[in-house]
Amino acid sequence: MSSYYYSILQGALLTVAVSLASLFVSTILGLLGATAKLSGRRPLVWLATLYTTVVRGIPELVLMLLVFYGAAIGINNLFEAMGSDYVLDLNPFIAGVATLGFIYGAYMTETFRGAILSIPKGQMEAAWAFGMGPVRTFLRITLPQMVRYALPGYTNNWLVLIKATALVSLISLHDMTYMAKQASAATREPFIFLMFAAALYLVFTSISLNVLKRINARYSLGTEKVQL
Amino acid sequence: MTDTTTLKLQAENIHKSYGSHQVLKGVTLNARAGDVISLIGSSGSGKSTLLRCINLLEKPQQGRIIVAGEELQLKAGRTGELDAVQPKQLQRLRTKLAMVFQHFNLWAHKTVLQNIIEAPIHVLGLPKDEAIARARKYLQLVGLEGREDVYPNHMSGGQQQRVAIARALAVEPEVMLFDEPTSALDPELVGEVLRVMQVLAQEGRTMVVVTHEIGFAREVSNHVVFLHQGLIEEQGDPKQVLIHPQSERLAKFLSGSLK
Amino acid sequence: MSWEIVFETEQLLAYWHGLLTTLSLLLSSLGIGAVLAVACALALTNGPWIVQKLVGSFTYFVRGTPLLIQVYLIYYGLAQLEWIQSRWDDVWPWTHFKEPFFCALLAFALNTGGYTAEMLAGAIRETDPGEVEAARAMGMGRWQIMARIVLPSAIRRTLPPYSNEVVMMLHSTSLASTVPALTDVTAVASQIYSDYYLPFEAYLAAAAIYLCVTFTLIGFFRLLEKRYLAYLAPRRN
Repeated sequence: MSSYYYSILQGALLTVAVSLASLFVSTILGLLGATAKLSGRRPLVWLATLYTTVVRGIPELVLMLLVFYGAAIGINNLFEAMGSDYVLDLNPFIAGVATLGFIYGAYMTETFRGAILSIPKGQMEAAWAFGMGPVRTFLRITLPQMVRYALPGYTNNWLVLIKATALVSLISLHDMTYMAKQASAATREPFIFLMFAAALYLVFTSISLNVLKRINARYSLGTEKVQL
Repeated sequence: MTDTTTLKLQAENIHKSYGSHQVLKGVTLNARAGDVISLIGSSGSGKSTLLRCINLLEKPQQGRIIVAGEELQLKAGRTGELDAVQPKQLQRLRTKLAMVFQHFNLWAHKTVLQNIIEAPIHVLGLPKDEAIARARKYLQLVGLEGREDVYPNHMSGGQQQRVAIARALAVEPEVMLFDEPTSALDPELVGEVLRVMQVLAQEGRTMVVVTHEIGFAREVSNHVVFLHQGLIEEQGDPKQVLIHPQSERLAKFLSGSLK
Repeated sequence: MSWEIVFETEQLLAYWHGLLTTLSLLLSSLGIGAVLAVACALALTNGPWIVQKLVGSFTYFVRGTPLLIQVYLIYYGLAQLEWIQSRWDDVWPWTHFKEPFFCALLAFALNTGGYTAEMLAGAIRETDPGEVEAARAMGMGRWQIMARIVLPSAIRRTLPPYSNEVVMMLHSTSLASTVPALTDVTAVASQIYSDYYLPFEAYLAAAAIYLCVTFTLIGFFRLLEKRYLAYLAPRRN
């Protein structure tokens, strides 16, 4: 019996790995998307808008199945058409992280874009007036201030992302949910193992909220707190 | 105003429109070393726009900008606005034209000291200890020594504006541009900022100040320019122009102000 | 890529039935969830301490765990409980726990109920105290104020984030495909994949269907916001 709990805990490690990797990918895509949308250049804006609209209009499960089953076959067809014998075996971890990162990149784009727009324009104007170029202004003035405004949305996206990783169990990745389901099927006692996995998700949520509270305090230095 | 050897700033024939609305209809402003020029006029006269065209925060449709003898290379873009041909030249010239804003625009996530040393280190390339030494010197000049680790949001408006002035001084500019520096301040805080500006004027710095403070214009500046609907209506020695205005519009404008 | 198969009548019909299943799941769970949400929101803001804690634990659980686990818990987990097993052959309503549609519906309804409850409770807490004071000054009683002033205002202010929740719920219905014998749009696509080995086309078609429904929902909510939140819009003249 206890070995099943242990296997779920091992699955938890994979859950954390998938979550962090997807967070990384989605953060990068979010920064790229936000700067594209704010760049003012028509093709970039159009591309970024297409990205966020389409990705947020399709269920994550469908996208994941599309990527996992569809992309592998699509790529293999491509190889076949090019005359190659190469067969790509898509690693479910890569498929899961790529899909989740791609999906949440769209949500991050909106979060970062809203945050940058919240920065008073005078902050950037002062930087330009003192001779700072666009890149330096972005790195030293825009980005640090954006973090403060982006934190609530970023936290929210992270919390949603952790739970979304449960979907990778459906492409046979041995995460927490997959192992809990395995244990349930083997022992015919689904309730206890599913509750165990549920409890672990709650623990992750609590830890995340705690960490992000500290980060928020650090980045709020020098700002006024709303008086409630 | 034609001795070009000591001309620190020349803004010639500036035209600026927003769509069909023309804000500046051909204004020329020259500043010699040590000049303190006050730009006055009612809202919409174009005085802030003129100032912001000088460091290209606004892009004029027509005109020339020459800073300390070096002309900023400009070219018309797709929308008809002039833009800098070489961004690097613009950035360099901007460090010679430090600006103090109406709403201070201190960088909220940085302390007072970090605000002041930011441009000297990252734009001028000064070594850190030299920048800090400069920062402390100018903080003392504006009367805020010892406050270097405070965040802007924990200071009053008057104190923030004085920090902004120290930030502008720290790049040791040729000309200082002030965009309505006291308009956003509570009345009792206006005095402390005007006093600092008076000290700077007495030191012989070249300043162009957009202001509503007629008292300051009269007592501290050596040249006043009255703008009306995008054109210079009258200009000259403040002791003459402000006390015995020749144009009717200026007389009307002055009678409307409290000083 | 062979799109011809996907566009055959048989497949199109299957997608259509799948869409009907998806929509019925969506609307039923939203309906039940909304009622649940109002009740919970009132409990969270007005109830006695113990009730607040209980409801709070419910929303904490529902918002802190994946929907997939919630679906499994109801479909597989509850089925394990002796107490339910002994009743589900004859005693209503426990008979429903044998039906996959009911289990999925329950999971979705509880999920959207929990999320919406917190949204609504937040809006209630943010009510302008001045509005409540004015009502009290006019002699309105506590529950009257709640029903006529606070709740209508809070529901309207919840509309923008709720539109997001509705779209999320639409996407969540795709998890019904993990419950055996439930044929929503995603399940239909999976079926076509296993029958014809065309995952790319099948899931792409499913994605297109979801995209269309999403846009329709967003458009619908824009209209609603225009009508019911006009008083919060910026001045036009």
